Amino acid sequence: MSFDVSLIFSALPKMLMGIGLTFQLLVLSGVLGLALAIVLMLMRVSGKWYLDWLAQAYIYVFRGTPILVQIFIVYYGFPQLEFIREGILWPIFRDPFGCAIVALTLNTGAYVSEILRGGVLGVDHGILEAGEALGLNRRQRFTYLTTPIAARLALPAYGNDVISLLKSTALASTITLADMTGIARSIVAQTYAPYEIFISLAIVYMIITFFIQKLMARIERWLGRYTVRTGQT
Amino acid sequence: MDVLTGWWDDFFWGSVVVAQVFLASLVLMVIFGLIGAAAKLSGNRIAHKIANGYTIVFRGTPEILVILLLYFGSAIALTAIAQVFSPEIKFLDVPPFWAGTIAIALIVGSYATETFRGAFLGVKPGSIEAAQALGMNGFQVFFYVRVPEMWRLALPAFGNHMLSLIKDTALISIIGLNETLFVAKQAIATTGAPFIMYIMVGVIYLGFSTVITLTVMTLEYYGTRHMRSAA
Repeated sequence: MSFDVSLIFSALPKMLMGIGLTFQLLVLSGVLGLALAIVLMLMRVSGKWYLDWLAQAYIYVFRGTPILVQIFIVYYGFPQLEFIREGILWPIFRDPFGCAIVALTLNTGAYVSEILRGGVLGVDHGILEAGEALGLNRRQRFTYLTTPIAARLALPAYGNDVISLLKSTALASTITLADMTGIARSIVAQTYAPYEIFISLAIVYMIITFFIQKLMARIERWLGRYTVRTGQT
Repeated sequence: MDVLTGWWDDFFWGSVVVAQVFLASLVLMVIFGLIGAAAKLSGNRIAHKIANGYTIVFRGTPEILVILLLYFGSAIALTAIAQVFSPEIKFLDVPPFWAGTIAIALIVGSYATETFRGAFLGVKPGSIEAAQALGMNGFQVFFYVRVPEMWRLALPAFGNHMLSLIKDTALISIIGLNETLFVAKQAIATTGAPFIMYIMVGVIYLGFSTVITLTVMTLEYYGTRHMRSAA
C-alpha cells in the first residue's frame, strides 16, 4: 500500500472533465426543483384541503424513500411501462441524463417546498395585518410582503438543501452517467487506488460546497440589506 | 403483483438487514455526534479544530464517495497488512455491513454534532444555576438537568438524522450488502420486472420512515408532558 501523488495529478484533470455534467445536474434540477417546490408550497398554504393533501402525500412519499431508489425507479422502472414508452416524454426517460434530472428534481422539490413553507409561516403576523390595514388585497400581501421576507427566512435552510443536491448528483454515476464521481469510479476500477482518487475528488466536492456557502451568504446579506443598522448620523 | 411471488422472503430478510444497519449506525451516530459536540464545547482549541474538520469533511462530501472510500480503502489496507504475515493472501475486506454502517454513521454523526452542540447550548443557564444552588455536583447537574433538557431540544432534528440514516442504508447496496435494493437487483435479473421490484423497495423504505416518524412524534409528546396542563 502506498500513496501515489503522481496518480492524483494524472487523474484529477480526467475527473474534472465531469465537473460540467455535475454542474448541469445541479443547476437544472435545482431550478426545476425550486419551481416544483414553489407550486407544492402554494398548494400547502392554499387553504384548499384537497390541494393541501395532494402536496402532503407527495412530500411524504418523496421524503420517505431514498433518492437512489427514486433514481432506479425512473431509470430502470419507467421504461417497463407501455404508456411511458409511447408517450411524448420518452426521449427524456430514454436518456440517463434526463432520468437523473427528473429524479433529482422530484426529490429536491419535496424537500425545498417544506423549507419555503417554513419561511412563509415565519413571516410576522403584524406585518400582514399592517398590509391589510393599508388596503392591500390577499395577492398583493403575498407578493409584496410575504415573498421577500419568507425568501430571506428560508435562505439558510435552502442553502443546505442545495449542498445536499450537489451530493445527490454523485448518485447519477450509478445510472452510467460520467459525472465526476462516475469518472472517479472507473479510474479506481482500472488503477485500484481508492485513496488517491476518492480523497482528491472529495476535496473537489468540498471546494464546491465552500463556494455554494459563500454564494448563499452573499445572497442572504443582499436580501437582508435593510435589516443592517447603519448607525445614527 | 404475480412477479413478486417467491421473493417475499428475500425482501423480508433484506429489510432485516436494513434494520440491523440502521440500529448499529444509530448507536455509532450518537457516539460520534456526542464526541463531536463535546469537542466543540470543550474550549480546547485543538479538539475544537479537529471537530470542525470532521464536520466540514463529512458534510461536504457525497455519501457514496465516503462509502466507496471506506470500503475499498479499508480493503487495501487490510490486504496489505495481511500480506505481511502471509503473502499468499490476495484480497481481504472489511465486511460491507460494517464498512457501510461506519460510513453512514460518520456522515450523519457530523450533522448530529451540530444538533447536540446546539441543544446543549440551548439549556437555560437559570436551570443550571438553580441546580447548583440546590447543591448538586457536576455529575448530577449533567444527568438530572442538562441531559433531560437537551434531548427535548435535539429531538426534532435528531428525528431527521434518523430518517437520513435509514435512507442512506440504500447506498450500501452499491458495495454489495444484501439489503432490499440488492435483493431487488437479483429479483430483476430473474423476473425482468424492474418497476414492481423498485416500487417494492420504495414501499419498504416508506414503512421504515413512517415508523421512525411516529416514534419521534410519540417521544416528542412524552418529552413535552410537563408543558401540558393537567385538565
